[in-house]
This record gives sequence, C-alpha cells and structure tokens, in this order.
Amino acid sequence: MARLLMFHGRECPHCKKMMPLVEKLEQETNARFEKYEIWHDEKNADLMRSFRPVIASKCGGQLRVPTFVNADSSDAVCGEMEYDKLKAWALGQPAA
Amino acid sequence: MKKRYWRCFVCNDIHYGVAPPELCPTCKVLNAYVEITAEEARKFLGGGPDTAFAPADFRQAIERFTAGNEFKVNPDEGKVQTLLSGIFENETNHGFKFCPCRLRTKEWEEDLKLVCPCNFLIHETYRGVPNGECWCGLFVRRT
Repeated sequence: MARLLMFHGRECPHCKKMMPLVEKLEQETNARFEKYEIWHDEKNADLMRSFRPVIASKCGGQLRVPTFVNADSSDAVCGEMEYDKLKAWALGQPAA
Repeated sequence: MKKRYWRCFVCNDIHYGVAPPELCPTCKVLNAYVEITAEEARKFLGGGPDTAFAPADFRQAIERFTAGNEFKVNPDEGKVQTLLSGIFENETNHGFKFCPCRLRTKEWEEDLKLVCPCNFLIHETYRGVPNGECWCGLFVRRT
C-alpha cells in the first residue's frame, strides 16, 4: 500500500468533516493515513512544507488543509470531498 | 511594485502602499504624505491606543466589512466559531490572523496572502461559483 499522509488543522472545519471519512476508509480498506496537525506542531508543518511542490500544483498554488498526499506517486488532493472520491484516490483507482 | 510606508505630515496617519493617497482620509489635506521607514512606521503605530481585538471585536469588524459587499459572514455559527478560534490561536502563536485552513510557507509576501480576511475573490471556491465561499468558509457569497 502506498504511503498516504493527511495534513489537517485543529480549527479547520473541513478537516473535522473529512476525519470521520478517513477513519471509515481505514476501517473498510487497507489504506492507512499518517495524520499530521500543522498549526500546533511545527515539525508537522515543516513536513507539509517539504511536500510543497507536490501540494501547491494541485491546491491553488498554496498549502491548504485538509490535504492528502501519496508520497510514493507524488500526488496530492485537497479540500472536502465525497467518500467515494477519497477512496478512489487513496486506492489509486479512477474516480467513478 | 514594492510597498513602502507614508506618513501624513498633518495628522500622522500611516499608509502602506506603492504610492501615498492624494487626499488624507482622516484630515482631508491634499498631498500630505511623506515617505518614512518601516521602523518609523512601527513607532507611530505602536505608540497608539491599545487596539487588541478580542474575537467578538473581530467578528464585529468583519460583519461591518461585509455589510457593503457581495459576500457575508457564513450563517453557520458553529463553523464561524471554530474558524475564529483558529484565527486567534494563529495570531497568538504565529503573529498574524492566519487562515486556519492553510499553512504559512515562511515566505513573507506569500504568507501575507493568508491573513484573514484574505483576497478570497480569486479563490476557485469563490470566483464564478454561485454559492461560493472562501477557502475556509468564513465568508460566503450572498445569494
């Protein structure tokens, strides 16, 4: 399984909304996300910044949360999304 | 377009921009601005009355800001309170009211784009979207 990361913010409403979907995905599939809160942990923030070239090209040129990164394929997707879209992205399948 | 600091020689209003205002918005004197250094500007701005905003003050400020605009503060009160909490946490921890739904890059000019309210009119979540909102959702288009 690819290395998947989720960057989120403690006070980000979109992140709060996505977290249960991520947990559901982890329960239903073998996908696992490393979860990093980025506003209250500078190490996590630096880790997200290290993916800036990957993330910015997919997220309006900025570092936004929530952002999901596939470290193996250097792919990223950000923002709120439907469960099926997240699942397809995480499993490397074309979205239905 | 490098921004610089300007001071009204009559009433000491401070302006930060590529050029000074022709008319001072406070004392209404024409051609009153002289360029000053960033350090001078900090002294003028730092010596005034305490203008620290509590979240409730900031809430009132953005309500006034949106009053004449095509957007408004999100009617979802729970979301607004979560965002205001993050904005003030960020100001305490990182110096500015940074958007809780983005991360600063540590590049000065780039990070100023994250200070709330940001120029969300250019966000793809707002521009051309009938029920658009800024990235974090604090501001939504009036429908």
